[in-house]
Amino acid sequence: MKVPVEWIREFAPVEMSADQIADRLTMAGLEVEASEESDVGIVLDIKVTPNRGDCLSVLGLARELAASCRIQFRGRQVVPSSADEPPDAAAYTAVTIEAPDLCPRYAARVVEDLRIGESPAWIQDRLAAAGMRPISNVVDITNYVMLETGQPLHAFDYDTLTERRIVVRRARNGEVLTTLDGVERLLNNDMLVIADARRPVALAGIMGGAETEITERTRTLLLESAHFDRRCIRRTARTLALNTEASYRFERIVDPEGVVYAADLACKLIEELGAGRPVMGVVDVYPGRRELRSVVLRLSRCRLLMGYEPSAEDVTQALERLGFGLVQVDAGVWEVRPPSWRPDIVREVDVVEEVARVLGYDRIPERLMTGLTTRGTDTEEARFRDAVRDNLIGAGLQEVVCHTLMAPSDLDDPSPETQRVAIRSALSAELSGLRRSLIPGLCDVASRNARRGLGPLAFFEVGPVFAVTRDGTYLERDAVAGLVSGRTTPRSWHKLTAEVTPFYVGKGLVERISGQWKLELRFQPSDDPRLHPTRQAAVTLDGHRIGVVGELHPAKHADLHLRERCVVFELLLEPLRLAAGVARPTPAQLSKYPSVARDLAPRVPMDVPYEDVRARVEEVAGEWLAELTLVDVFSGPPLPEGTRSFTLSLVFRAGDRTLTDADVDGVVDRMRERLKSELGATFQEAG
Amino acid sequence: MNDIEQLLRQAQVELAGATTSGDIAAVEARYLGSKGTIQALLKTIGSLPLEQRPTFGARVNEAKAALTRMVAERRAFVEAEELRQRLASEAVDVTLPGLPVPCGRLHPLSATVRRIKEVLIGLGFEFVDGPELEDYEHNFEALNYPEEHPAFDEQMTFYVDDSRLLRTQTTSIQGRVMCQRRPPFRIATTGRCFRYEAVDATHHHTFHQVDVFMADEGISLADLKGILRCFASAMFGEDVQVRFRPDYFPFVEPGVDYSILWHGRWLELGGAGLIHPNILEHYGIDSERYTGFAFGLGVERIHMIRHGVTDLRNYLDNDIRFLSCF
Repeated sequence: MKVPVEWIREFAPVEMSADQIADRLTMAGLEVEASEESDVGIVLDIKVTPNRGDCLSVLGLARELAASCRIQFRGRQVVPSSADEPPDAAAYTAVTIEAPDLCPRYAARVVEDLRIGESPAWIQDRLAAAGMRPISNVVDITNYVMLETGQPLHAFDYDTLTERRIVVRRARNGEVLTTLDGVERLLNNDMLVIADARRPVALAGIMGGAETEITERTRTLLLESAHFDRRCIRRTARTLALNTEASYRFERIVDPEGVVYAADLACKLIEELGAGRPVMGVVDVYPGRRELRSVVLRLSRCRLLMGYEPSAEDVTQALERLGFGLVQVDAGVWEVRPPSWRPDIVREVDVVEEVARVLGYDRIPERLMTGLTTRGTDTEEARFRDAVRDNLIGAGLQEVVCHTLMAPSDLDDPSPETQRVAIRSALSAELSGLRRSLIPGLCDVASRNARRGLGPLAFFEVGPVFAVTRDGTYLERDAVAGLVSGRTTPRSWHKLTAEVTPFYVGKGLVERISGQWKLELRFQPSDDPRLHPTRQAAVTLDGHRIGVVGELHPAKHADLHLRERCVVFELLLEPLRLAAGVARPTPAQLSKYPSVARDLAPRVPMDVPYEDVRARVEEVAGEWLAELTLVDVFSGPPLPEGTRSFTLSLVFRAGDRTLTDADVDGVVDRMRERLKSELGATFQEAG
Repeated sequence: MNDIEQLLRQAQVELAGATTSGDIAAVEARYLGSKGTIQALLKTIGSLPLEQRPTFGARVNEAKAALTRMVAERRAFVEAEELRQRLASEAVDVTLPGLPVPCGRLHPLSATVRRIKEVLIGLGFEFVDGPELEDYEHNFEALNYPEEHPAFDEQMTFYVDDSRLLRTQTTSIQGRVMCQRRPPFRIATTGRCFRYEAVDATHHHTFHQVDVFMADEGISLADLKGILRCFASAMFGEDVQVRFRPDYFPFVEPGVDYSILWHGRWLELGGAGLIHPNILEHYGIDSERYTGFAFGLGVERIHMIRHGVTDLRNYLDNDIRFLSCF
């Protein structure tokens, strides 16, 4: 809310500079976001929190300033309207409230002999400073009073009202009202309207109707000052996407007790400025009057919550300056009656905040809590995520953090068992749903960096992926994914030229993770449409599929501006974490006996996967096998076409004795026999 | 006799001329080898008169020892020289780049979260994880948001359906903890939040928060101020000051907005306050006996302040040049 400082000073006569006032208000919880020069001096732009609608007014702000400066707040003297002298307003109009739940109070005054014209400069300037456009003397006065008191007012052209009376009721479904802005509004039964005997003439608390608007020809006006249910106003304003100064205030807090005061003040100004002659009296229908509740406040509670003990005098003065009523019921105990403009004060703790606020949060001391010492911990899930991050950082990959919200993408998880989680009424494609896979984000990062000519393109992300299953279960699961595109050995003057098939780069990273926790993963050819059809594998752990590794389908490269082949992998973390907890090996007794090394080089038909060889070798070797390393894969002359050879380097060691050559040769012979008979392997005769 | 001295002098000259270990081996063989001069001299011993033999034998042995010493000395010298030359020939240009070993880095947000966790775990806080895809109940209702209240305007929300949304604040963890825990507890969480915001240098629809809360007997605003000072010191340096201002969040009362004094300027860090008694009571916690505080702040904000980053968008853009700065 924008307010000229001088306007506030009218009611809180402090001897302070505008900057000091701004600082006081800010420290009282009314943050001054900006202050600027204007025709009426310094104007403060104040951010009023949603609970303090009472401070969307000059009076509210002045009251706060006065309280925090410990000076007397000085209100206006307005002679209340009375019906002593006829003719009385009641002779001019009548008000019927058919929806008292949505309109607890409605007051109407009538002004005759209207002389519509411009308002004086001092009003126009203050309105302009507050960001409102001057329109005419009467409209400007209603706005002026709203800014000063917080009570929105509305002026009807009295003679345009059918039967010259007011009915406050729910709109009928399908009813139509053209509002002041010229827009035809379709209404429904959830909305509250001000009607005359025949039709709606205003959208209650939001905007008046065009047909009953004040014009230069208006002779008599009906001035509305009313109180409405904040929820109803908010719903209607949102449904119609129509937010006004009035609705903004009604959605928050307007003082029901200030209704007549605001109408009287407006009439007083109209009279003083010669804009018209107010008819005595007010028609005030008030079916929703509420007893003001009271709250017990204990000094001991102030001390407990504020961390220091204010004096009883500090407490009572602070609250009285804010308009609270206090009755002491015991030593250090009061019955506190919040003012009518503070419906947000409901419990003792709310009153404590008022005390703390007015005395200043600066007075709160600093202390470190005592009490039971608790053990600080992180979750196992988070520790595992961090360990996986460290693993991949160690492999030279850069961690990235990508968007959870994303547009549909053919790089997203294509699995048909689940669906993407969609955002309802999304504003753009980029914000239309949640990622099912981390791979699209990594591809996007690689692509953007590649277009900027940056590298190396080696990234990973750890984070949740989302999906909804066919039976409507929402899944949010942690995953890790990586991407490497281009050289795996950085370009340098060192002659490291051997480039690795990208698939094996990705698989190596997956194995680096599983290797850290000694997990046995299986890799089987798969058919993920995002990936190169013959260079991809499904990754399984204990028979369950937990992810995928493979080269990106070459068709995607151009879209991503990637010049070189790109390998990606993605694994779900939770199965890995659970298996890591189980598989953690107990440290075995370290053997003190020497090891024996042998090489084994079976030649097998090309279609025999390496895994078939490895599994058999391991099975035959039993517990003597200490290491198995595949040191060469060879095909081509002099091997016959359609065959290849593997060279396995084996290390044997026993825990209880020194193995003899005969022991080991026997094992290796059995390996040969097994590979010959089951896989058709051949061996070059020794010699 | 002179023969032997002559021999030693000759050997000395030859050794002096031996500049490689091969030369020395040749000299050694010539004098000390099985077919060498010393052996030859020893063989002549039988031809000497009996009384001369001991003296002659002793002199030959002395000469042998002297020769052995001379050879060893010369060898040590020559080998040292050879080593020196070999090493000299192996000189590298120390200014050429080393073998590149790629260096991975944590994303700055991960690194910041680690630091935050280190500090809070040290203060006895227990970290818990909550879902990003949250329900309305935990994100708003359990946090004392009044129905149809303008407080919602500050949290424009991504809804999946009527009951499911992307969490707008990590405070949503409070209900998940309080429905199964009794005070005293000290809890913290960190994670990603979402709000409809037009993206610019200081706003994003996706951001990360830390949320911290505790409940125990006698917890006051002073404890909150103390822990915030402690936390801010650990994040930004010992000499930071903490300032409180009143603010409003439905889930705290009194509500606090806190700033730190950093390089002479007050910087707003986040929201805080005492846990609203409505929330404690909603979960069956005696709000008369137990009180608690809660505070939250942005992970990005911490990193931006610490490293002078001025554009929030950098964090999700993942430009390698930016990421490699930290």
